[in-house]
Amino acid sequence: MMHDMSGQEIRLGIEALSRFMPMHLLLDAEDRVLSVGPTLQRVLDGIPTLGARFEDLFEVRAPGGAGKMSDVLDRAANRFRLAPRHKRNVTLRGLGQRLGPDGPVLLNLTFGIDLIAAVREFSLTDADFAATDLAMELLYLAEANAAVTHELRGLNLRLEGARLQAEEEALTDPLTGLRNRRAADLVLERLCAARAPFGLMHLDLDFFKAVNDTLGHAAGDFVLETVGRILREQIRAEDCAARIGGDEFVIILPGRTEAQTLQTIAARIITRVSHAMEFEGKPCQVSGSIGIVRSTDLRAPDAAQIMAASDRALYAAKHAGRAQAVLMSGDTPA
Amino acid sequence: MDALLLRSLQGYVRDTFGQPVWLAICRRATLKNDTFEPMLRYDPGMADRVAENAAQELGRSVDTIWEDMGTYMVTSPGHEGVRRLLRFGGPSFVDFLHSLEEAPGRARLAMPGLELPEVSLTETAPDHFSVECASRIKGVQRVLVGMLTAMADDYGALCLIEAEGRDRIAVQVLDRAHASGRRFDLSRPERRE
Repeated sequence: MMHDMSGQEIRLGIEALSRFMPMHLLLDAEDRVLSVGPTLQRVLDGIPTLGARFEDLFEVRAPGGAGKMSDVLDRAANRFRLAPRHKRNVTLRGLGQRLGPDGPVLLNLTFGIDLIAAVREFSLTDADFAATDLAMELLYLAEANAAVTHELRGLNLRLEGARLQAEEEALTDPLTGLRNRRAADLVLERLCAARAPFGLMHLDLDFFKAVNDTLGHAAGDFVLETVGRILREQIRAEDCAARIGGDEFVIILPGRTEAQTLQTIAARIITRVSHAMEFEGKPCQVSGSIGIVRSTDLRAPDAAQIMAASDRALYAAKHAGRAQAVLMSGDTPA
Repeated sequence: MDALLLRSLQGYVRDTFGQPVWLAICRRATLKNDTFEPMLRYDPGMADRVAENAAQELGRSVDTIWEDMGTYMVTSPGHEGVRRLLRFGGPSFVDFLHSLEEAPGRARLAMPGLELPEVSLTETAPDHFSVECASRIKGVQRVLVGMLTAMADDYGALCLIEAEGRDRIAVQVLDRAHASGRRFDLSRPERRE
């Protein structure tokens, strides 16, 4: 049968103590250093420690106001906090015990959550920690965590990029590279909701069906692409040009409500569109009619009203003969 | 696990053979996409399938590809984090070998849901080890061979490392301190973002 060992004493040499507790501190009854663990010695960084006074080496952070080790042990022997006087940014947590009446005091210290900073600060290696210490696991975990976070941040950025690209594609007319109907509707709704003034042109190609019928779809596509390029060249970055149907286009011009300016732009577009295009050596002659409306001509414009008004303007333009631009203010051509 | 291997394979092929080769492999494997995300899930078996296509495209055995990729994961500068996490396994190569059994637990601690293959280590004689790694992914054994070889180098240990059967690796440590090995600081170098 085993003897009950509690209450018994064992002898432990300083070397063994240093191996089990590389952060220990042994003080005599006068608070003078008898022994320092090798890792703690690294923290104390070349300062001669043997025989030094505890108070000169460490500031007691908790319990507050304690300076002497006897105070510390009386008040918080199981958990106190110290900071080396020459490196106050490193806090050490400790546990202490007086070894017999008027005997030396044994303290064991640890870095706690300051471990990562301490490892960097004092260039510690795994040999500085007892094999039973969880320091390596904590360091490992901090690094693994940083790696996972880094990877997640990368994933988020890539997903965001993919989302923006998908959104861009959903708003783009693949043939002409202009915006599509959905994009134009969104811009229109946003401007109406903000009550921002804008001009809108509704362009319909003349004779497009004839090109398609006589020269084929490839020629038709070529004409649409060319018109797309013309429109892109005629607008500013803040404007929106969209193909909203087969040969139907809309141009939204935020802030542009002057009749003269709008008419000039429309005339320029018609001239360019009416210019003879050539597809595989064959001329494709189209032209364009444009209906122009201004948000300022409607009392409380909404997207549907604007589009209806632009339809009427376009109809008037077609009616006035091809290759015309008509601006409607109210119900009559201006 | 498939995701991690696929992402690594993608990095290995792109860095070693170039993007056009990687795209050719993706086409050969009739993949819908040509990038893999380490944090997403892919069909079980996908990693082996892509590796087999890589083997055909590159005209090498699939085992060689997995082994080279394992080495690449430890040695390429872009994966310094992997090497560092492995080096936390212990101060010597033998300590590191013993830490392999903890790897799945460590991985779970770092990222719940990340399942690394269970590894068991037997010391058959002094400096003779048998590493057993069971996984439904065929490539795992060879990836581990490549990683162990690179890690032995990293520690400066001279070893004979050989695949045995489908899921065992024999490791013989000939000289624990053959070379000085690569330096390992416990504190992480500052990451530049």
